Amino acid sequence: MIAIPTLETSRLILRGPGAQDFDAFAAFYASPRADFVGGPLSSELSWRMLAMEIGHWTLKGFGRWTIETRDGGDIVGMVGLFEPEGWPEPEIGWDLFNGFEGRGYATEAGEAARAYAYDILGWTTAISLVKPDNTGSAAVATRLGARHDGDFTHERHGFMHVYRHPAPDTLVNGGVEAYA
Amino acid sequence: MTAFTLPIPVIETERLILRGPRESDFEAHASFMASDRSQFVGGPQDRWNSWKGLLGQYGHWALRGYGFWTISDRATKAPLGKCGFIYNDGWNEPELGWHIYAASEGKSIAFEAVSAARAHGVTMGLDGVISYIDPANSRSLRLAERLGARFEREGEVIGHACHIYRHPRTEAA
Repeated sequence: MIAIPTLETSRLILRGPGAQDFDAFAAFYASPRADFVGGPLSSELSWRMLAMEIGHWTLKGFGRWTIETRDGGDIVGMVGLFEPEGWPEPEIGWDLFNGFEGRGYATEAGEAARAYAYDILGWTTAISLVKPDNTGSAAVATRLGARHDGDFTHERHGFMHVYRHPAPDTLVNGGVEAYA
Repeated sequence: MTAFTLPIPVIETERLILRGPRESDFEAHASFMASDRSQFVGGPQDRWNSWKGLLGQYGHWALRGYGFWTISDRATKAPLGKCGFIYNDGWNEPELGWHIYAASEGKSIAFEAVSAARAHGVTMGLDGVISYIDPANSRSLRLAERLGARFEREGEVIGHACHIYRHPRTEAA
């Protein structure tokens, strides 16, 4: 049995990904917004990508959650802990699906995912990888208190900026109050 | 908690154990997928795509309730290949697929593993399934025929032309 924990924030629920996410997931991966995360993808490849997200939990013991709004249950994106082949170290990653940008959802969800990594899994540090042109994602990393800390080139994803998150002992209750 | 109806069933045969994929299978999987032997199953692939593929095989179980097993040696536990059921988005229907790593070829391992997987599939409601086979993949064609599958029609899967073989339903087998 794979048991993926559910996390709750003030506006969001982070839950394990499943078949019910496919339409939203495939729509995102078919769009130019997915350029920064390996897209655009066909419907078939999006399905495989969703299967991959679930498999990450099983093989690694952590992974990415589907982000839903508490109010209305909209599927607004993915967030979580990701360490695929060839990554320099485990990262906190996020994608917001089309139409859900600009509301602070990625920051709110990213903070919850980071707190899980630090408080539950015992990570002592965390990075986020951001493509240089992905200004939206870089802004989220910055709001989370992460700072540009070198670069990394992946055989598939190419050149990315490494953002280093504040260490657990510099955060207050897992949050980013110190950076607000 | 989000829970999926797993675990993946374990199937034992005379020489083999079919079990769920593990991260420790990755090197054998990536090595196969980097080789020309993978040309009929979407390869050759780089390590990134091989890794995604391995995770996707696990997620397939969660999404569909069935999927691909790692074929392992009963004695040494080493991974020898894969077989099982694949039904990705846009495919015609669930297919029974297989591949065997180079070191284990010619020992009837695929026949033994796929026979067991197919029989188990019947208990999961997968009976009389298809196999997509590239007509140039003569070894797989021979195995399909040895398994009693018969050519049904020409078709395609994710844009690749292939032959569709139909396995006998259990009552007809």
